[in-house]
Amino acid sequence: MLKVSLRNVLANKLRLLLTVAAVTVGVAFVSGTFVLSDTMTRAFDELYSGLTAGTDVVVRGQSAYTTDVTTQEQPPPLDESLVAEVSRVPGVAAAEGGVTGFALILDKSGEPLQPGGAPTLGASVGGDEQLAGGFSFRQGRAPTGPDEVALDARSAAEAGYQVGDTVDIVLQDGRSTFTVVGIIGSGDSDSLAGATLAGFDLPTAQQVLGKVGKVDEIDVRGADGVRPERLRADIAAALPAGAEALTGQQVADEGSAAVRDAMSVFSQVLLAFAAVSVLVGSFVIWNTFSVLVAQRRREVALLRAVGASRRQVLTGIMVEAGLIGLASAGIGLLAGVGLAVGIRRLLAVVGIDVPTTSAAIEPRTVVAALLVGVLVTVVAALVPAWSASRVGPIEALRDAVPAAGDIGLARRVTGWLLLTAGFAGLVGAAVAGGQLAWTGAAALVAFAGLVTAGPSLAQGIARLADHRRRGNGWRMAARNIARTSRRSAATALALTIGLTVVCAVAVTASSLKASVSDSITGGNRSDFILQPAGTGSGISPAATGLVRGLDEVGAAVELRYSGVQVAGTSTTVVGVDTAGLDQVVDLGVQQGDLERFSSGSVLVAADEARTLGVGPGDRVPVTFPETGVQDLTVAAVFANDTLLGSPYLVMLPDFAANVTSRMDGAVLLTVRDGVAPADAERALTAALAEYPNVTVRDPAELTADAQASVDQMLGLVTALLLLAVVVAVLGIVNTLVLSVVERTRELGLLRAVGATRRQVRTLVRRESVLMSLLGALTGITLGTLSGIALSRALVDDGVTRLAVPAGTLGAYLVVAALVGVLAAIGPARRASRVDVLRAVTTE
Amino acid sequence: MPGHLLHGRDDADLASLPRTTASPTPGAGGPRCPAARTDRARKTYGVGAATVVALDDVTVGFAAGGFTAIMGPSGSGKSTLMHCLAGLDTLTSGQAFIGDTDLATLSDRDRTFLRRDRLGFVFQAFNLLPTLTAEENITLPADLAGREVDQAWFQQIVSTLGLTGRLTHRPAQLSGGQQQRTAVARALVSRPEVVFADEPTGALDSKASAELLRFLRSVVDDLSQTVVMVTHDPAAAAYADRVVFLVDGAVVEELTDPTRDSVLETMKRLGS
Repeated sequence: MLKVSLRNVLANKLRLLLTVAAVTVGVAFVSGTFVLSDTMTRAFDELYSGLTAGTDVVVRGQSAYTTDVTTQEQPPPLDESLVAEVSRVPGVAAAEGGVTGFALILDKSGEPLQPGGAPTLGASVGGDEQLAGGFSFRQGRAPTGPDEVALDARSAAEAGYQVGDTVDIVLQDGRSTFTVVGIIGSGDSDSLAGATLAGFDLPTAQQVLGKVGKVDEIDVRGADGVRPERLRADIAAALPAGAEALTGQQVADEGSAAVRDAMSVFSQVLLAFAAVSVLVGSFVIWNTFSVLVAQRRREVALLRAVGASRRQVLTGIMVEAGLIGLASAGIGLLAGVGLAVGIRRLLAVVGIDVPTTSAAIEPRTVVAALLVGVLVTVVAALVPAWSASRVGPIEALRDAVPAAGDIGLARRVTGWLLLTAGFAGLVGAAVAGGQLAWTGAAALVAFAGLVTAGPSLAQGIARLADHRRRGNGWRMAARNIARTSRRSAATALALTIGLTVVCAVAVTASSLKASVSDSITGGNRSDFILQPAGTGSGISPAATGLVRGLDEVGAAVELRYSGVQVAGTSTTVVGVDTAGLDQVVDLGVQQGDLERFSSGSVLVAADEARTLGVGPGDRVPVTFPETGVQDLTVAAVFANDTLLGSPYLVMLPDFAANVTSRMDGAVLLTVRDGVAPADAERALTAALAEYPNVTVRDPAELTADAQASVDQMLGLVTALLLLAVVVAVLGIVNTLVLSVVERTRELGLLRAVGATRRQVRTLVRRESVLMSLLGALTGITLGTLSGIALSRALVDDGVTRLAVPAGTLGAYLVVAALVGVLAAIGPARRASRVDVLRAVTTE
Repeated sequence: MPGHLLHGRDDADLASLPRTTASPTPGAGGPRCPAARTDRARKTYGVGAATVVALDDVTVGFAAGGFTAIMGPSGSGKSTLMHCLAGLDTLTSGQAFIGDTDLATLSDRDRTFLRRDRLGFVFQAFNLLPTLTAEENITLPADLAGREVDQAWFQQIVSTLGLTGRLTHRPAQLSGGQQQRTAVARALVSRPEVVFADEPTGALDSKASAELLRFLRSVVDDLSQTVVMVTHDPAAAAYADRVVFLVDGAVVEELTDPTRDSVLETMKRLGS
């Protein structure tokens, strides 16, 4: 039987190729995700252990709570005097203080070097070479004195800086000019995961980063023979409260763990897309095997007649499926490795400099690839194989044309019931709002309904296409769809899955876009908003001071952000300048009074106040990472928190008392009465010439930018989902080829009685279009409804509005029809070349 | 049922309906003008020593308004002759004409149009598209051409063939005889110059065969339709005006006004 299976697999190379391709895409996705995340994790592990190599113990300020590394909150700085104290601990060979902060390098034309998502760092460098870890000077030397700087190799290369050049750098207190004396590499990489780095000697760094007399970290090297654990304990014993000591290994592990966390989120997202591809692929396999089995009924019957048992027939087909699965898994695994390499290149192109290391192919990746490939194929082939094993030996004697296969009443009723229940559930969830679990369950029920009622739907669309008295090509195409309604439905379902997800994402994204505009305009009274380019806080207070001094500007309110914990939950607090606050934003005070907003008080957003059960006069404990718990009194409860982007407002002096950084996250401005906005913008731009990283935008531009970033995300997600659609298209091609082969005689007869080749091609193409439209209509309907329910479910997460992108959805329908036309090109050609004589000659 | 055609009250109307005929071919000879003919038709398969000659310089004409049977043993080339005449296959050399149209000069597309517009076909089996109803199968060539069917003519044929109550049925719901009669209706509805029938009774029982053959006969007699039929059944051949015998790709004998016995006798003679 194995020989029969093998021969069957190889019998039709095109069919084999299409089937394998359907599984391969999913497997490649899965293995590519694993390889990419393993490789990146390994690379970062190597990077971190490289960076801490030579450092036995690290002393740093203790955060009030374990800060989330991804928010880039820094622990509180330590007093400089602690360096001397630490170096006096027995067993310490060298102790060195270091500071890190904001520094934005400008290129030769004054434009900022702004990496995609990575920070722009300024830090102290030089000193003890062994403590420098992976950092090394590739050219030049360590900077000394207030005028010298060393740049990371990537920034230097990008802007063309050499040792000896002068470079302008924007710092907390404004723009300064330095001389480049060294180029820094971090291990093999040109940069530390894409971050820009401006290195100064310690006194200069403390000065320009706003940390005079402070250090963020003390790196310690032990004397020969002293164990790091022992040294750590000794140092810890000598430290005052508020400082902690960790071994170099612990710091490296912390960094690795953070990367692992970030990677696991990334992997899960990619694996979700992989799951969609795999699901679509399984439908294609199921379908292919159904058709194969139907066409091979006579062959199976013959096998049975000559003595093959039912079990042997079943096993034979399963082995065939297993072989295809194995081949797909192998190819998919290779493609996945290629994909991972490709994605890393892509990340490098967009500026995320991933440290290099060889591709990590863990045993888990291989197992997962094989499991997905073989299991999906075998499971998808199970039902068709089972039905094949039911073929009686007597059928070998009949000229068995695959039966039309009427849809049972039970199936039809069940399908429509599920469909109705699912759609009703989605509508209910949309009306109720906030029902995430309900939305998911209803979407699944509706999908199950589509699977069950699929053949009825296929017959429905066939009837629609065949409504005229003489439907011509459409009539015959429609009849063929109706005849093979199960197969057509299964083929279309592959497309349904892909389009459901695409449309749900599209609706949710467009709702999000509409909500973004709400959140920016909600309560806004400002005319211009200053924001730093890139992520994090990056407006120097010096810049804010310049702007405030302009004649054209009325009110200027600076906003500073910090992560905090309230009642054990991580959130953010914004420090605001109270002067002019009500001129730039209408907070929509619901309870209490803004007049009572003073030192030691806090404004709380309405949702948050409800959750905490607090009102004006109540006390709220807010935990700052640097200074710990501060009991603040609620002055007022306000409604419009979306523009400020934070549910807690404190006064700027209170904020500064708890947060070291003086960089502003945003500045809201109004134009002085009688000044034209265009004049004001010109004045602002001129005043900020020294601060090229600060952007001046009006609320409309800000909205457009935020929407553009939603669009960018949507584009990326859609591109990933398109892979699933490609698999679905392969499925359509497969089904068409098989049905053309099956209908050789019919097509020949059609040609004999006068159908031109073109008419035969048209017939096949219209069948393809009908299947595509079936998939598109069901997918777009389910996806749109799911998207609406999903948007309504996320109403508390900032999706306050509902927007259905009718144009986009319509475009998907048109594209689906075009896809149908494309998928039919090959099969239609084949159909138009059938041998007329073979069809009309009786064997 | 088919017998009614001969004496039915609508016969006169039927016969008087206009029909398209090919203009007579000058110099083709014979008392009636040939609706189809071949001139030194040769068809070979393979090359070199392996060459198989299916048709060996066959020159034969089929008179308009005549009912001709082509007979011969298996492999005699009778089906090949019909296929080449009907534009389903092409000759290696020589010529085949429908009316005065030389099929060799036509492209695949034009031969398709010729089959659709000027010829009718009845095959032994698998004549009908299973997804189309009987009516839709009958009007298929007209639908493919985008033409309207002459409703009076359509009704006439359908009622004559006893298909009136069966028009909305799919082929699977029709008996073998009904399926073949549906095929005949399809062949006739476009008033073709020639109807080609390839073993039309091959899959039918004797009663259904006789019905179908009587109908083909009446089509020729009453409507001056031209029918060319390939058969191996002497009883079927006896319905024809003329029988052409092929052996090894060559015409070896002709019978006019054949009877079952004369056909049988000729077959026996040629076979020995």
